[in-house]
Amino acid sequence: MKSTLSPFPSTRPRRQVLAILLCAASAAPGWAAPPDSKTLNIVGPWEVHSLEPSRNGYIFTRLQVAETLVTVDNQGALVPGLASGWEVSANQLSWRFTLRPGARFHDGTAVTAADTVAALERARKNPGVLANVPLQKISADKDVVVFALSRPFTPLPAFLVNYSTQILAPSAYGADGNVKAVVGTGPYKVTLAQPPQKVETARFDGWAGSKPAIEKVAYLAVGRGETRNLMATSGQADVVFTHDPANFDRLRANKTLTLQTQPIPRTVYIKVNAAHPALKDVATRRAMSLALDRVGMASAILHEPKAAATQLFPASMAEWHVPGLQPLTRDLSQARALLASAGWIPGPDGILRRDGKPFKVTLRTYADRPELPVLAAAIQAQLREVGIDMAVAIANSSEIPAGHKDGTLELALVARNYSLVPDPVGTLLEDFGPSGGDWGAMGWASASLRDAISALSSTYDGQRRSRQRGAIATVIQADLPVIPVAWYQHSATSHRRMANVSFDPLEISYRITQMQWTR
Amino acid sequence: MNHRLGWCTVLVLLGYAWLAPVALSDPYQQDLSATLQAPSAQHWLGTDALGRSVLARLAEGIRVSLSLALGSALLSAVLGASLGVLAAWRKGWLARALQCLADTVMAMPGLLWVLLLSALAPGEKWPLYLGLVLTAWVEFYRTTRASVGALLAGPQVQSSRLLGFGTAYIVRHHLWPAVRANWLTLLAFAVCNGVLAVAAMGFVGIGLRPPGAELGVLMTEALPYSDDAPWLLAAPVLALLACVLALQAVTHEKDRA
Amino acid sequence: MGPLLRGVVRLALRAAAVGGIVGVVSFLLMRALPGDAAYRIAAGRYGYDMVNSAAAEAVRQELGLDRPWWVQLGAWMADLLQGRLGRSLVTGDAVLAELAHQWGHTLLLALAAWALALAMGLAGGSLVALARKAWLDRAMGSLGLALKATPTFVVGLVLAIVLAEWAQWLPAAGHGGPEHLVLPGLALALGLAAGLGLVTLHSMRQVLASPSVAFAQTKGLPPTAVMCRHVLRNAAVPVVAYAGTQLVLLMEGVVVVESFFAWPGVGHALIHALVARDIPMVQGTALCMGWLFVLLNSAVDGLCWLLDPRLQHQEAP
Repeated sequence: MKSTLSPFPSTRPRRQVLAILLCAASAAPGWAAPPDSKTLNIVGPWEVHSLEPSRNGYIFTRLQVAETLVTVDNQGALVPGLASGWEVSANQLSWRFTLRPGARFHDGTAVTAADTVAALERARKNPGVLANVPLQKISADKDVVVFALSRPFTPLPAFLVNYSTQILAPSAYGADGNVKAVVGTGPYKVTLAQPPQKVETARFDGWAGSKPAIEKVAYLAVGRGETRNLMATSGQADVVFTHDPANFDRLRANKTLTLQTQPIPRTVYIKVNAAHPALKDVATRRAMSLALDRVGMASAILHEPKAAATQLFPASMAEWHVPGLQPLTRDLSQARALLASAGWIPGPDGILRRDGKPFKVTLRTYADRPELPVLAAAIQAQLREVGIDMAVAIANSSEIPAGHKDGTLELALVARNYSLVPDPVGTLLEDFGPSGGDWGAMGWASASLRDAISALSSTYDGQRRSRQRGAIATVIQADLPVIPVAWYQHSATSHRRMANVSFDPLEISYRITQMQWTR
Repeated sequence: MNHRLGWCTVLVLLGYAWLAPVALSDPYQQDLSATLQAPSAQHWLGTDALGRSVLARLAEGIRVSLSLALGSALLSAVLGASLGVLAAWRKGWLARALQCLADTVMAMPGLLWVLLLSALAPGEKWPLYLGLVLTAWVEFYRTTRASVGALLAGPQVQSSRLLGFGTAYIVRHHLWPAVRANWLTLLAFAVCNGVLAVAAMGFVGIGLRPPGAELGVLMTEALPYSDDAPWLLAAPVLALLACVLALQAVTHEKDRA
Repeated sequence: MGPLLRGVVRLALRAAAVGGIVGVVSFLLMRALPGDAAYRIAAGRYGYDMVNSAAAEAVRQELGLDRPWWVQLGAWMADLLQGRLGRSLVTGDAVLAELAHQWGHTLLLALAAWALALAMGLAGGSLVALARKAWLDRAMGSLGLALKATPTFVVGLVLAIVLAEWAQWLPAAGHGGPEHLVLPGLALALGLAAGLGLVTLHSMRQVLASPSVAFAQTKGLPPTAVMCRHVLRNAAVPVVAYAGTQLVLLMEGVVVVESFFAWPGVGHALIHALVARDIPMVQGTALCMGWLFVLLNSAVDGLCWLLDPRLQHQEAP
């Protein structure tokens, strides 16, 4: 039975509805009010889960809220931070760091050596870089912090740049010993800490140095690359860190943004279990290295052909990169020849076999760095061409040290940070220790490498240091306990309303105090 | 989309997905010098970020997604319907226990079940199957139980019983025709939901291992290139749309006037 | 017992059953996950640059992860009965506090999306039903299906590109003001609105063709009265019931949308907790989700019962 109701009761409501919609639409641009011109909006992928210095402390040192005893300048050289200077005793076993006179915490109290020692002792107890320092005792002597070592250790000042050694006030810790507020000594103080995503800071009036131009800072953690991209191109954020290389062309074409990419001391390499029966021959490892199309991967995936690794350390690490070293290249015929010399024979399906067993391995990697899974897929296809059947497992990053510990790890693709402390020796000590390292060598040891690293950490002689660095690079290039793939590129964009924005390749500070507004 | 067009689309998609390994190039063949190419004569749908042919990869993606979704949907449909018939027939404590089980399963959002189970064996297919089946069977169970319950108490079944016909006859001639329409519609829904759920898993990061292709993984991989290479994202999205619309058309009853 | 008391008792029983089963099952599932929990928690705390065996051992000692599983489960249940949900293994904060913070955001997003979806779906469906043009019906059917079939993150991406990047009307991500709610809410709402619109269309058409409406018109009632008193109320019942079932989809879509738009809610935290093996957080989230469902489903049942007088006079099954 058809109803006789007219399509719409009357035309009046329709006109009213249309009028409301038009008003809403024209008011819409007003919703997205331009960001508060006094607040700097920074976006990065790192979430702040805890205020504890050993965990997410890097956010607070980068935002220049907390300071460490030593820091670096724009060229990467060590300069005084919370310490105004340091000296080492003649026997190299005692270091004295003098605190900056007039330094104050954000709660108004003066910085004392006792507070500093307490913070450093706390850093020692928690996981951090200080575990690799042969420390015997840290003590306070008026306004000087004294480190007593058990053996000479030249990179100590570099170790004190690491964020886990940041100095917080006694009032920062609650009754249960956990950090309840980040009360540091830097030019900015925390006004809002909303884990896991937001941290807001404002200028600290008691800062003795020159007053920074930026008054307020808001940091937002955004995990997905596409979203960070949108925040840059839509102008919602002033500075955005870590872009997906896939978006580089688009960002460069955008007139409102400046994209800066630069190589950083972070290398992508394949960690090899050299105790695995298939991987223990040097010839096999060299063949795998020769099968990799590094230039292709660097161009297609990282969008920077120069990022193809020719050795472990990138060209930007001038002291560690050895120019004369035979570069790692691609040569499929030589790779096949090396594999044949190691006893591998291709089977009917193209997969290599030795003693009846196929060459089948698994590569573990993690998705925290978005390029790694894509690189892993490319490496899988390249190794297949020479007959190696490699499966890729994308897991949590912790499965790599776990696999190292229980021996189940075969291959792993990692992006290793050589600027945990400004001196790569810090990372090398951990990666190439006596029994290898969770992120470094596995089932492989070299006496000459170990000697070179320990010599580096105990001598000041420039020429000797240079020789040791060369030796380290050469041994790794020849034996390939880790197979370098690419050198990492750091990327960041800044909006044109910012001036004087530079990015720290060591990722220690955002250099907010140097930034300025253009209008 | 009408009935005939729906069937055509389904057949075309199935043919494309299952015949591709024979007719098209290798979906895993990479060519790092020819990445992100636009559709051309050589590559009908262009190439992706690693230089693989999108046409071949899409076929593989459709095959994996559809087999996962179809498999789990059929399994949950059969399971749910059987349990529904059982509950409606037997009544008593069995029905109450099943109702309680259904309530508990529905108490947690399906995605949580799939997430937890997929995290059990990342990269494998069986947890996805299990999770999808676990969340989908309840709808079938409920609808079947409701309609069968009414039917079993009705005069047709009673007279059939009195005439001496057995269980199999009743199921085939009374229950199935009444339940069929709803069941097929729900099946279509379950397949669509299955594909979408697996795509969401791929987005969140608990998808198949590389180089495996599946519609969700294809979409997630294409997201960063949405500006430079929109065809990368458009291809799997349109394929998914075509699947869903075709399934809806195929199972939709001839519409009332 | 009156129907109201019966409803409340049923609600309480369901909540208790949900609590027990969900808690135990999620605990067992998390225990069965491959990989070492101590390592994963250490990675969650210290990041992939600093996680190593020493850090994992320290975590294991600190959290007592080497106690037998039944001891850990018993401790969790004891805490639960005292109203504590434990402490997050990654951040160390009380789970209850973190959940409250996250749930506020998720509820806000979910309710905003639901309201938007209801408004768009009801308005769209009613208008199309009243227009009574066959091509419009078919167009709406196809559009609705297309929207439902598109994954939420694709919808979110398109919306973000159009509204945030090209038009620059709205911020792309983050939270804090009502303008941050629009994009994620819309992304969630569009899929739901499609379904609701189709159901409204179907229901309205049925009611408009029903004898009671024809009789009301024959009686001489003005069109507005016919609409309000007869059409809307009758059409509302199946729509409300359907809207209730959509809450499930909403909760699931929230996970994807929160991840995409960096919205600090439960879905976002759940993914992180799953990856980091933060067992108390996963348990707490699963529990709250379960209870929320029971609550919302009972609310929808109650709403249907209020709207439809026939249910009020029925015997309880």
